[in-house]
Amino acid sequence: MNRYFLYLVILNMLTNVIIFVPNFLIQYRYDGAIMSILIATISGMILMYLDSIVFARFPGKGLPEIIENRMRVPFKIILFVGFSLFWFTAGLITLLGYIDILHRFINPDLPKVWLMVIFLAAICFVIQLSTQKVVYLLEIILLLNGPLVIFIFFKAITSDYLNWDSIFEIGTHFFTPPKLTPIVVASYVFSGYTNIIIFNRLFKEKIKSINFALILGLSILNLFTSFLVPIGFHGADGAHEYMYPWIMTSDSIRLVYSPIERALFIFLMLYISITLLSVSVHWHVAFELIKGSYIKKQSKKKNWLVFACFIGFSILAVLRIDLLKPEMVIKFWLIARYFFEIIIVFCFFFFLRRRKA
Amino acid sequence: MSSNKVQSIHDSIKSKIQKSEDIVLKELKTKEKNLDTFYFKTLTDETQLQNFLIKPFFEIITPDRFLSYLQSHPKIKPFESEQQTLDELIGGAVILFYMDTIFILDSRIDRNNSVLDTTVETTIQGPQSGFSESLGTNLGLIRHRYPEPSLQVDSTKIGSISRTQVMIVYDKNKVDPVVLDNVKKFLSSIDIEIFQSGEQLLDFTKKSRRTLYPTIMVTERPDRVAVNLTTGKVILLIAGSPFAVLMPTVMKDLMASMADIYQTYWIGKFLLTLRYIGLFTSTMLPAVYVALTSYNPEVFRVQLALSVAGSRHAVPYPSFIEVLLMLIMMELLMEASIRLPKAIGPTATTVGGLILGQAATDAGLVSNIMIIIVSLGAISNFVIPISIFSFAVRISKYLLLLLSIFYGLVGVIIGFFLLIAYMVSLDSFGKPFFTFIENKSTN
Amino acid sequence: MKLTGKWFSVGVLFIIISFLLTGCGFKDIDKRLFVVSIGIDPAIDSSKKYLISLKFAIPIIEEKSNESMIVSEEADTISEAVRMIKPKVDKEIDFSHAKVIVYNQKIVQKEIEPNLYYWFIRRRDIQEVSWVAIGKPSALDVLKLKPKSERLPSNSLFLALGRDGPETAYIIPEFLFDFKRRFSEKGLDPYLPIIEVNKNAFEINKVGLLNKKQLKLSLKPMETMALNFLLNNESKSALVIDDKDKRLVIDTKRVKTKYKIVPDNQKQPYIKFDITINGRIEEADFSVNNADIPEYEKLARKVTQENVYQFLVKMQKANVDPIGFGLRYRARHFEKDDWKTWQQLYPSIKFKVNVDVQIEDTGLVE
Repeated sequence: MNRYFLYLVILNMLTNVIIFVPNFLIQYRYDGAIMSILIATISGMILMYLDSIVFARFPGKGLPEIIENRMRVPFKIILFVGFSLFWFTAGLITLLGYIDILHRFINPDLPKVWLMVIFLAAICFVIQLSTQKVVYLLEIILLLNGPLVIFIFFKAITSDYLNWDSIFEIGTHFFTPPKLTPIVVASYVFSGYTNIIIFNRLFKEKIKSINFALILGLSILNLFTSFLVPIGFHGADGAHEYMYPWIMTSDSIRLVYSPIERALFIFLMLYISITLLSVSVHWHVAFELIKGSYIKKQSKKKNWLVFACFIGFSILAVLRIDLLKPEMVIKFWLIARYFFEIIIVFCFFFFLRRRKA
Repeated sequence: MSSNKVQSIHDSIKSKIQKSEDIVLKELKTKEKNLDTFYFKTLTDETQLQNFLIKPFFEIITPDRFLSYLQSHPKIKPFESEQQTLDELIGGAVILFYMDTIFILDSRIDRNNSVLDTTVETTIQGPQSGFSESLGTNLGLIRHRYPEPSLQVDSTKIGSISRTQVMIVYDKNKVDPVVLDNVKKFLSSIDIEIFQSGEQLLDFTKKSRRTLYPTIMVTERPDRVAVNLTTGKVILLIAGSPFAVLMPTVMKDLMASMADIYQTYWIGKFLLTLRYIGLFTSTMLPAVYVALTSYNPEVFRVQLALSVAGSRHAVPYPSFIEVLLMLIMMELLMEASIRLPKAIGPTATTVGGLILGQAATDAGLVSNIMIIIVSLGAISNFVIPISIFSFAVRISKYLLLLLSIFYGLVGVIIGFFLLIAYMVSLDSFGKPFFTFIENKSTN
Repeated sequence: MKLTGKWFSVGVLFIIISFLLTGCGFKDIDKRLFVVSIGIDPAIDSSKKYLISLKFAIPIIEEKSNESMIVSEEADTISEAVRMIKPKVDKEIDFSHAKVIVYNQKIVQKEIEPNLYYWFIRRRDIQEVSWVAIGKPSALDVLKLKPKSERLPSNSLFLALGRDGPETAYIIPEFLFDFKRRFSEKGLDPYLPIIEVNKNAFEINKVGLLNKKQLKLSLKPMETMALNFLLNNESKSALVIDDKDKRLVIDTKRVKTKYKIVPDNQKQPYIKFDITINGRIEEADFSVNNADIPEYEKLARKVTQENVYQFLVKMQKANVDPIGFGLRYRARHFEKDDWKTWQQLYPSIKFKVNVDVQIEDTGLVE
């Protein structure tokens, strides 16, 4: 089922709005953002391709199954717990980011912890499902939300208030040399492929190259949209003032004939399910990886313990979020993620490439 | 078999059957031969007994010829075990003791074999008759609509006390062997005392025995059964029930009405879309009302916001109490109209729906818009063609309502997500609940 | 049956909790008071700076509609004023439907404080698609206005500015987010439509042009229409061609404007306008002849060219740029200091206007 690979990548593309990707790109709009996006695209595609050929050697197997008998137990535990920590934070950051948005825009009087509780309930229900079911859910939610995403995109692009001159003004800074931060940030939209380490269980055959072509096209479109449309709406010199450029942009679209006049609400509702899904996918990977460290001795109690950890950490994080600077944390996380991705992809490539399935 | 043994079986059966008014122990005798019969006169068709047994007994003179008559008669089975004999006797068979052999004459009376009109899944066009309460008649109806040699019928019994006969019907070329296997495993795992109708299976489809959405479907329409046989489904026919059980059942089956195939393409598609809209509105509406009026009135247009606020001006309590009040009233009405005799049913609905609703708004207990929301929700619920599913939907709206009370719009969306996730997590005998595109069978 | 009991108690618990719901954002719609428009005036003989007025809509109850109330308060900042208004009303103030923000002309004539628009942007509940406008003689007068045809408070303003009602080229509505963008965007200047109150009706047919700080220019209705055409906003209008002896009115169906900054020999760039107008003759003070249509077209072309040219020069003299020539220049030049170049360039740049009028027919009369 190859199309699921595409979905995983698309999901990350959609989440980029929550995780401040547009903000960072807009910050660097005069300092090499465009060049960085192109470089990020190339690096992202290469990493994705390498990872996919490594895992294509082990059809129908996730990482826990692949190295089940190839490693000593202590190593395995360190490896899996380390990895799953990474996926867990990936989900957590998205979740915290979105809860912050909801808190600001929809329910300002509702405590964040309350919001967190309901999100956690939904997410915990999803992550304990089998990998196959998670993917089914992914497909259905994307199909339900797809029309809305396209609708908002279309409305934004065709709006009279989208000033193309502002966008072209950014275009005139094309030749500014790229910088590390925007490259790292932009490469986030590709990193959906890393979930293959668990979702490879579903890929019985090699991923068709049409998927890569689609991903290439969509990712470039996605990056430029999420970066340039807010600039078109809020000006080349003014867009960086907003904390959530895309939410402001969606609020700037007036739907004259729709029962809901403000596109903002369609956008926010759309992103509730996308966030839920994105976090669920990441945490599902984290959960399955941890389960991989005790693959022989499965027990309900251990699973509950893992859940309790997930929930405990998230609630702690949401209580303490005001002390941290979310934007800075996310920036460092994005940078760390990029190098982590490069390292693991190359490790996989060199260690697993020559092994037989 | 030795005559001693036959005698001992004779005695043991006699002792095991409780003395009751309707048991008949009769000995037939001629000069040459004698025949002992055991049966329940309430379960046995005595004209058959007369035709197949008593008449020949006196017409055929030699004992050997009568023995060979018994052996070759299609309705007469030989003895297998004492327990089986006892079961057959309770099931309505006649036990014959003749010349040191034991025979079982299947002459059970077939009551309720008249074909009923459809009452639950009605359609405007298409066949109007449903199943009867007789197993044989029902099987005949299916065979009649599905004249394929590949149609296979297996038989099993369910229920530790009722020992209801159940027939598993499927098209051998089309059925998915995995599904068939799952169905058989499922049937053998059922632990129940009295089994009378397929609906009882619903609770056994999940390990936890608590399931919200049905993963099997019960239908009263032979035409639906025939159509589903072609898609490779397994059908259960239950003795004494005018409903057949279809397995596996996924969402798409629960939303399909037989009317769809008796319409032209676009009408069918339109009706199907309408049903999905109904499904959506009946689950979401009350919850959305609470969320929008109490948490996020900014979603409305200003004009609508003002008229909603105006219609609520006299209502003294918060919106969710208003909604709960009306919803419970609606549920009571719906339940009442099912329980009431058919002649009074419409009166109850009119009194309840029209007069109560009008009075409630006039008294300032609920707002006008609330009445619209609740009745629209109820009406859209009736659009769902399969009643077990429509009941499930009726309940799921309360989950959304609950979440919307606590979380507003966010809660509604998360609740909707959870419902979808829950549906995704369901399996019907190896088929995901959200299967919309059927894989073409390889055969 | 044990289980039923457990679930039942859980259900009861939930219901009890829901009764205890306080705070948490649960507030029924009838406990909120919706602000429909906000007015900002300078304070009258007081030490405070501004007079902030909020117009609240009163929900429609039975036959009575279009009920509203206005509460004003003097304060140095908007937040302060809102805080002081709160105890004066019986319900929670909800800004989510505040769709019109009116500034008194005097506020924008002086240097407008950025806070006066940032406050609206910063609040999550005020729509980005609220309209901003200048009110004359004062913002409060605009708020007080209650036209006869209006069914909901301020609805006639919503309709007029949202173009759901009248389709006219004399109104150039401005959204809040666009207004704010024009303040920060180099090479694109803000404008505001002017709402004038005459007894019991309002008149919106003028536009005020701002530079990045204050109101520089108030356009006449004809100029407003010209600006509308140049912004490619609304095409339907009546173009009055008034030559010495002839006078005709063209009902425009489609107006399309393109412009280009032409770098001519790097020295003297000029802005070249191409305007195409499609329309039909609606009225004339002479007998119209079909054969003479080319002649009328020529006349219309000449007059419009002249009008537009004059208007552009007027804007240039005031050094305002609502059309965004500066931004266009920046968008076409790769140099880092293109904005500085443009600032020197604009006061002396030339305009070339080329109008193409096509009269399709003469209405229902030959």
